[in-house]
Amino acid sequence: MTMHASNLTAPALDIVGLRKSFGKAEIIRGIDLEVYKGERHAIIGPNGAGKSTLFNLITARFAPTTGSISLHGQNLAGMAPYQINRLGLSRSFQITNIFPKMTVFENVRCALLWSKGYKYSFWNIVSRSQDLTEGADAVLEQINLAGRRNLPAGVLSYAEQRALEIGVTIAGGADVIMLDEPTAGMSHSETDYIVDLIRKVTENKTLVMVEHDMGVVFGLADRISVLVYGEIIATGAPEEVRGNPKVQEAYLGAALEADH
Amino acid sequence: MGQLAPWVIATAFLVAMPWIFASNSAITIMNQMAITIIFALSYNMLLGQGGMLSFGHAVYMGAGGFMCMHVMNMVQDQGLPLPLPLLPVFGGLFGLGLATIVGSFSTRNAGTVFAMISLGVGELIAASSVIVVSFFGGEEGISGDRTYGLPVFGVEFLRQIEVYYLIAFWLVLSTLLMFLFSRTPIGRMANAVRDNPERAEFLGYSARWVRFYSFCASGFFAGIAGALFAINYEIVTEENLNLGLSGAILLITFLGGIGVFFGPIIGAIVFTLLQTVLSLQTELWQLYVGALFLATVMFFPSGLAGVLMMHVPAIKMGKWRYLVLPYVKTLIPAIFGILGVSAMVEMMFHARHAPTGDEEMGLFWMTVDSTSPLPWLVAAIISVVCFWVTRRNAPELVAAWHMANTPDGGSA
Repeated sequence: MTMHASNLTAPALDIVGLRKSFGKAEIIRGIDLEVYKGERHAIIGPNGAGKSTLFNLITARFAPTTGSISLHGQNLAGMAPYQINRLGLSRSFQITNIFPKMTVFENVRCALLWSKGYKYSFWNIVSRSQDLTEGADAVLEQINLAGRRNLPAGVLSYAEQRALEIGVTIAGGADVIMLDEPTAGMSHSETDYIVDLIRKVTENKTLVMVEHDMGVVFGLADRISVLVYGEIIATGAPEEVRGNPKVQEAYLGAALEADH
Repeated sequence: MGQLAPWVIATAFLVAMPWIFASNSAITIMNQMAITIIFALSYNMLLGQGGMLSFGHAVYMGAGGFMCMHVMNMVQDQGLPLPLPLLPVFGGLFGLGLATIVGSFSTRNAGTVFAMISLGVGELIAASSVIVVSFFGGEEGISGDRTYGLPVFGVEFLRQIEVYYLIAFWLVLSTLLMFLFSRTPIGRMANAVRDNPERAEFLGYSARWVRFYSFCASGFFAGIAGALFAINYEIVTEENLNLGLSGAILLITFLGGIGVFFGPIIGAIVFTLLQTVLSLQTELWQLYVGALFLATVMFFPSGLAGVLMMHVPAIKMGKWRYLVLPYVKTLIPAIFGILGVSAMVEMMFHARHAPTGDEEMGLFWMTVDSTSPLPWLVAAIISVVCFWVTRRNAPELVAAWHMANTPDGGSA
């Protein structure tokens, strides 16, 4: 089918001429970005650069003012989050966003329901579905939360909740994973732990990750894009980006401004 | 299987109840209770399971009741071979149909928008009940005769007890189905959408469709409750779908507890008892129900079921014994204190509302003069002393509570 052919050649994500204004303020000022299939791509930038806005545009929380976003060659314009998710894109949230009253296991099981084909069925009893139980336990194993299986998610430590957030994000088997500052608010050791976890669970998938701190993504990302004031000023391999004078200037300039 | 035990016990209980409480009035109360249980459980599919606060749920019960009554009358006129025990299906389907229409636009959002739409629809349909006389029968409602048909296995449904078993059958079936619904993918996602609709959307589920399906299922079971009401009372009026009943079911469900599946069952039982037994004792019963509701909302937001569930850890650890004595020492004086206050409320009501010259009133087992100071003084002293004792003993209960909920070996 033609659809399939386009899937083979198209980048995982293709952003063309993207702009977003809130009132008179233009936050995203013309972004073109291709995320290749299977790469780990980090979008970094100083505070206020528009990282979260870009992230929310891709995941249909906001509608673009102009420009287009395509997932596997398919234009996402006008789609609801659940439709985008069904096309194979899954996201995490910057503020931990799980189901706090459910157990850890149930959180992951909910994330499996759609992809396992249960949809809106009211003739299956979830606890009797072996594939759901096994699938959810496998994910818990992967994110090292098997020992917390039957606790309400709301009582987990912050780092554990972040890990669960990642587990819920990947459980549905999406091939494009988007993570919004997954290490925000974490200590050094926790950050290292989560980065290792991300590396492990995004094996053979496309990862798009927004991050404030370049150090976090340096060992993880295949390519880095630097976003400053709503524009991408550089895209490339980590070493290349770090050595880029424009990037250094932007980071330093923004850091100075933030001090005042 | 351990999961089956509660169902078997509950069913056996329902079968045995008419032998324990054999009087006609007791059976009438139990019928009312069973209908309210189904209605409250269906309401909790929205409020507790789906996070949708509806102010118009009586509409679906009423619609089911009216439909069932029309089918009953039609079957009687035409002499159709449709036995009475199957009629609730029609009530349910009509409730489902109406919920499908209303849900198609009301479930787009939860929260305030949903609540306002439910209120509007509730008012709209209650208002049309006096306009569309052919369906709603105007002010006198629609009545019918449940003994229309041929006997079903020799049962003619002339006697209350026969209706009791019909209702009990539907109670068990509906409760079981509603319980199983909460265990299906759509039922689990209803919880997910309640807690976090945005996250649920990124798991591939449309929050709106999840709410819509819950809403339809809820309308179906409310319709069944309405049909059972029609069969039990043989009359359905505007009161079966107005905002008063919608408010009552919210109160009942919340009183029982929205966080646990069986919460609304407790709420329905307690409320029906207050409504029937307490209302025979005092004209002010609604005041007491209101006070109970207020106390629940303020101090036990998880409802009566939540209070019960709070004791599970202590019981599991086998340390509930520590609680018995402190409970006796605080709750018994508290109850007497409340009775003292209610005695004063009753006397005030009597003194203000009785015709002049009528100074005697029945209070508990006594006859007192509501204008003389002595009974007032006694009631006031009882209240003050009892509340003082309760307050004095409360710290002991708190300490016992901590002890009962601390695992052995762990330090508090």
